[in-house]
Amino acid sequence: MRRVVVTGLGAVSPFGAGVKAYWTGVAAGTCAIRPISLVETAGFRSQVAAEVPEGVAGSSRRSRADRLALLAAREALDDAGLTAAERADAALIVGAVGGGMLEAEAWHWRRRGRAVTARASAGALRSILPSSHADTLASRLHVLGPRETLVTACSSGAASLAVAADLIADGLVDVALAGGADAITRICYMGFNALKLLDPAPCRPFDRERKGMSIGEGAAFLVLEEAAHARARGAREYAALAGAAMTTDAFHVTAPHPDGDGMARAMRTALARGGVAPAAVGYVNAHGTATLQNDRIEAAALRRVFGEGRVLVSSTKSMIGHTMAAAGSLEALATVLALAHGVVPPTAQHEHTDPDVPFDCVPRVARAVSVDHAISNSFGFGGQNVTLLFRRAG
Amino acid sequence: MEPKEVLDELKGILVSRLKFDPRRVADLTMETPLPKGVDGAVGLDSLDFIELSIAVEERFAIPMDESEDLVPHFASLESLSRFIAERAPSA
Repeated sequence: MRRVVVTGLGAVSPFGAGVKAYWTGVAAGTCAIRPISLVETAGFRSQVAAEVPEGVAGSSRRSRADRLALLAAREALDDAGLTAAERADAALIVGAVGGGMLEAEAWHWRRRGRAVTARASAGALRSILPSSHADTLASRLHVLGPRETLVTACSSGAASLAVAADLIADGLVDVALAGGADAITRICYMGFNALKLLDPAPCRPFDRERKGMSIGEGAAFLVLEEAAHARARGAREYAALAGAAMTTDAFHVTAPHPDGDGMARAMRTALARGGVAPAAVGYVNAHGTATLQNDRIEAAALRRVFGEGRVLVSSTKSMIGHTMAAAGSLEALATVLALAHGVVPPTAQHEHTDPDVPFDCVPRVARAVSVDHAISNSFGFGGQNVTLLFRRAG
Repeated sequence: MEPKEVLDELKGILVSRLKFDPRRVADLTMETPLPKGVDGAVGLDSLDFIELSIAVEERFAIPMDESEDLVPHFASLESLSRFIAERAPSA
């Protein structure tokens, strides 16, 4: 049985570049959802989002999303301390949704004579496809093993980690660089605006006053590694990825199955694959979008799997918004760090728990509590459900 | 940075990032035209120029502003070396 451990971490988040900035923000319960600057929102229901601040380092001829991916992936690889040969054999699995859409939109709008908020380089247009992130990462970082781009909407980043873990467990590779990246795009912002799913204020997951989600952006990558391989080279082990599962609702284009059937199956399967009983799980990093549909159904699924009030539940999206393809990996990273530091991150802006959410949602302030197992949930439109189960190192 | 060092870096980029034949690149002079379609040129196409401009930005820490006409600077290794020497932050 080949076990999978996490040996490298990298992130760019609405708190800025780096894992340290991300964890500092998340552990402090800081909300990084602010007035939006990247896209035009006049007349929209919401004008706030969680943008990566102060520009994103790198050439403007790379798409913003490519630059986010490159920064986070490079940090993860450096953190893991892999040799060039180990990088060359590693798998590269990337969760993506928007690709270079932000730049493509700006180019198209300008050609149609419309003013655009953010300038965009025509050079970035070659990176329009979601698979461009993996192209860029492979060529710049020389990660040359099996390569896949997963597009499963809001669970893409989590799915990339699940697939990478399978490649390692199955013996195809010893090391994988996996995660997700997304920049804010007009199509995403306008789409959720049109669906009336955006809260005009920063989102309030699981709160009875919630009015919808907030959009965010960023990237996070994890280096996953076969446990014996990691031990042999003396790598730092942050946590184990003890189990992962993907299930499908096939119920509706946007709404989850009303019984949360696919969500519950994802959680139960991940636990079964990790050989972990529900009672051994202390923390759930929820999908927690702060839409009525998600929060109530996710809470019902959690209740079925864990029992009422039997686990701490919080939503990182209350601080960094919904970062789309990056969400699953940024939230997996928060889950790993929660285990490593013995600190459960809070749900910001959470005042009055919805009576239909019978859980301690860790309101506003992080909780110092040592947890042995934690799961991270990610549920994409169309019912693409992913649960990742992590175990504390040591 | 010395012009010779800049030139060597640029030749390295043509080989490692743009995948031009190392022997062909070794023979280049400062005056050899870069763009495809010009007599005696190295033969860079539009995607090559994007890759080259990214590589120059990353290697020499020169942010390029596209509101400026960059084409004359990318005419030859001579013009590009001069452009880089003028803008590169002094080490």
